[in-house]
Amino acid sequence: MREEAVFFGEVKSLIGIVTDPPSRNGNHYKPAIILLNPGIVHRVAPGRIYVRIARALAAMGFVVLRFDFSGIGDSPVRYDNLPFDKSTVRETQDAMHFLQTTRGAERFILMGGCSGARVSLQTASCDPRVVGAFLINLQMSEHDDQSSDQISRTAAFYYWNFALFNLKSWCKLLTGTADYRKILRALGFQARRQLPSARKMPPESVQLAAKLRMLAERGVCVAFLYAESDPRLNDLREALGRELRQLRALARVRVEIIPRSDHNFSSLHDQDKLLKKICELIDAITPAAADATIHQRQDWLPRLVEAPTQHGGK
Amino acid sequence: MKPDEKVVPFYFGPPDKRLFACYHEPPLERRRQCAVVVCQPVGHEYINSHRALRQLASRLCDAGFPVLRFDYYGCGDSSGNAEEGRIPQWLEDISTAISEVRRRAGAVQICLIGLRVGGALAMMAVAERADLENLVLWDPVVSGKRYLDGLLRLRKEMLRFRPKPSSTQETLDYVDVLGFPLSRFLQAELKNINLSAIGWSSAKNVLVIQTDQMSDEVDLQEHLSQMDARFEYQRLDAPQIWFPTSDGSLVVPRQILHSIVSWTSRVHP
Repeated sequence: MREEAVFFGEVKSLIGIVTDPPSRNGNHYKPAIILLNPGIVHRVAPGRIYVRIARALAAMGFVVLRFDFSGIGDSPVRYDNLPFDKSTVRETQDAMHFLQTTRGAERFILMGGCSGARVSLQTASCDPRVVGAFLINLQMSEHDDQSSDQISRTAAFYYWNFALFNLKSWCKLLTGTADYRKILRALGFQARRQLPSARKMPPESVQLAAKLRMLAERGVCVAFLYAESDPRLNDLREALGRELRQLRALARVRVEIIPRSDHNFSSLHDQDKLLKKICELIDAITPAAADATIHQRQDWLPRLVEAPTQHGGK
Repeated sequence: MKPDEKVVPFYFGPPDKRLFACYHEPPLERRRQCAVVVCQPVGHEYINSHRALRQLASRLCDAGFPVLRFDYYGCGDSSGNAEEGRIPQWLEDISTAISEVRRRAGAVQICLIGLRVGGALAMMAVAERADLENLVLWDPVVSGKRYLDGLLRLRKEMLRFRPKPSSTQETLDYVDVLGFPLSRFLQAELKNINLSAIGWSSAKNVLVIQTDQMSDEVDLQEHLSQMDARFEYQRLDAPQIWFPTSDGSLVVPRQILHSIVSWTSRVHP
């Protein structure tokens, strides 16, 4: 596999890394994959997970590009005042154009965590070249990361879904070693969410449902991947409800839950599970790649360090 | 980034250990005779401080310094897996980066700027070579043991509101710190870091910026002030950008960037 640093975009200001497969023989029909910034973190992503994803997918024969949007990571800011939600879609299209020109790719799978998932969905909705969108921990609202309730929300989700069933947590509660203030704040947050005004379907949900229906009709594979402990998973279920079940029945929309993981997949084990799931899904939606099994791609999973190596050190 | 700043991303180094770098190239008419190599932290600290170090490079470039920001082997966009990270290799990478920036900028003088583990590596690199005259240490890891303890404390804190990993998920071969594997070899090498015991012959100018209240801060100050180098110490009330934030934001401490750029510009007029 080969990694190349590239420039592209209207003024060649977008910086990214293309990971090419070891050989493109027989792989020309495969869609290229583009990884989009998770929030404002640069193209390496937390835990270096984008690097691992790119290398794993390249080992399966895909061309993978991970790049920085303007103003994120190494790419400079734009000077045209285009709002972020528009510039990111345009720059994703620039990325597709670049891969079309330099690698001959005609179809694309977009993939991104957090806000990168939103951009993947928006671009997929407006560009017919996109045949797949992998939305990792999609946030329903553009501003939910800035919410002052974010910590209470995460804590509430944790208490309700995990601590409630954990003997150690109960022991802490009963022996006075628990953080009671945090628990009360989380309970208050949960209670507020049950109010009728908080349960109204926001306009974003209506738009999301419409986009998913449209993508399903177009034959685009949409996969939602959620960390089990990410409260956004609840948002998705609440926002789409029955609609989501219908869309899943069409087999074009999938919802995959990565068990015992958090929003940033901040352990190596979480990363392994996410990576494995992504590879399985890619195999499933691009059947021609199915000849390479997950088992054969163990080289990009964390290896045990076997022996000290000399690096000509000092 | 200023519209006239040129940033070139590229790979360099030996074919089996390609390193990624961004070269910030100032306009020829403003170019100074000293090039800067930025030594980044590692692990989650690298991710959290990338934005600030990118802006630091941009400001230095705007002041006329050619700047090379690069990723060590097994880190960032460079080749290699994260569990392969080792200190001797990273020191070798710094040497490769110095040769690369000299080749590109033609500069004779080099200034190393290091943050956290990058600071410790920069100081170790200066101690090993006779051709590095200027050094900026930004909250360097002075005691490797203290640094490791801090990582483990942070790991515990970050695991509070998430499902706990089962004990079988880790091996004796590495410790998982926020998704970055710390091999037992790297742990042993990190434990041996003690900047207060490192001597050098070549450095002429040293700036230390500290935001972190450290128990061994005085030791480092005393150690550096006993050397022949012109030593400046700045204690700044600024955020510690390498820590994860609750809302996922990445902090850029303008005050520190300003201090580093103005010191570097003073030392290399």
